Amino acid sequence: MEPAEAEFLAEKELVTIVPNFSLDRIHLIGGDLGPFNPGLPVEVPVWLAINLKQRQKCRLIPPEWMDVEKLEEIRDQERKEDTFTPMPSPYYMELTKLLLNYASDNIPKADEIRTLVKDTWDTRIAKLRLSADSFVKQQEAHAKLDNLTLMEINTIGTFLTQALDHMYKLRTNLQPGESAQSQDF
Amino acid sequence: MSEAYFPVGPGLGPEENFLSLDDILMSQEKLPGRAESTLPRLAFALGQGAGAGSGDSIPEGSKLEIPLWLAKGLHDSKRRIISMELPKIYKEAWRTVFSADANVVDLHKMGPYYYGFGSQLLNFDNPENPEIAQTILQTFISRFRRIMDSSQNAYNEDTSALVARLDELERALFRAGQKGLNDFQCWEKGQASQITASSLVQNYGKRKFTDMDG
Repeated sequence: MEPAEAEFLAEKELVTIVPNFSLDRIHLIGGDLGPFNPGLPVEVPVWLAINLKQRQKCRLIPPEWMDVEKLEEIRDQERKEDTFTPMPSPYYMELTKLLLNYASDNIPKADEIRTLVKDTWDTRIAKLRLSADSFVKQQEAHAKLDNLTLMEINTIGTFLTQALDHMYKLRTNLQPGESAQSQDF
Repeated sequence: MSEAYFPVGPGLGPEENFLSLDDILMSQEKLPGRAESTLPRLAFALGQGAGAGSGDSIPEGSKLEIPLWLAKGLHDSKRRIISMELPKIYKEAWRTVFSADANVVDLHKMGPYYYGFGSQLLNFDNPENPEIAQTILQTFISRFRRIMDSSQNAYNEDTSALVARLDELERALFRAGQKGLNDFQCWEKGQASQITASSLVQNYGKRKFTDMDG
């Protein structure tokens, strides 16, 4: 899966906006989107929010986790723990990129938030590599990793699965080949 | 997903993949052996030509360097035709080097298909086979960390120094890691949504729109 596909899936997440137009309830295949009244906050999926923002029809309200103190807390906890901490949203990386690219004027301290999220990302990726390395070194059969997000899995996924495939094939070499006989006619 | 062409990968293990280009190149590597019986009229193909006398047949017991595909074909459990020895990199001396520290070895110089070739060698009955298999596995495991780190961290740099000491299998892994990294960076910069020409079309050489007008 590519990063663009993960971003597409992330756009289904709900975010709060304050529209400046009014519209009745709209009925879409995925569900209803509530009546839009100017000045009243309403929850919409990110894809709609970004579209409305680009047409200057709304103002985005950052999600509650996108706040400097909260992100600092998360980052420090990530650095302390050996395991992965649960992230406030399974799509934190994609949402950060989308919201900070299109709506940075609605989000206070956007640059700091970007730095904090990047720090957290780097720490998590480093932990992921460490656990992949110990996984390979000890030739474990399977591993369980909680609280990983899709984007992180994508970045390392192809490499890791290929390496594990090779390792598996080399490991089956250790057994003397009873099953490798060709047929005699 | 966006690749136009998926090459067939090498089959590691006792059987090669018939359609894999890597395996075909790998089986061209030579290994040393001896002729167990006289091989009439083959001196031009196999012999070194020097001590062949009348240049007609290869006498019994002479040393030969045979490519893997030929060695596998001529190898017979009754061992009448040729007998194969291990190339020096799979022998005892080098095995201890690998078990000491596998990261310092230049696997590209030692035969660019260390893992594949080693797996094929297990086809020939040899009392050292379990140790060879174990060494190959341990080498892969110890070099894994370095490949992972270098492939995931080298963005937009010249990577030739990093891949110089890797064999072909490791290079393919390195490229996969780099691709993951590049895709992510490219997405983060926002280039993922820009439309670019497909590599196939660029290769056709027909896209000389601006050149033709000028």
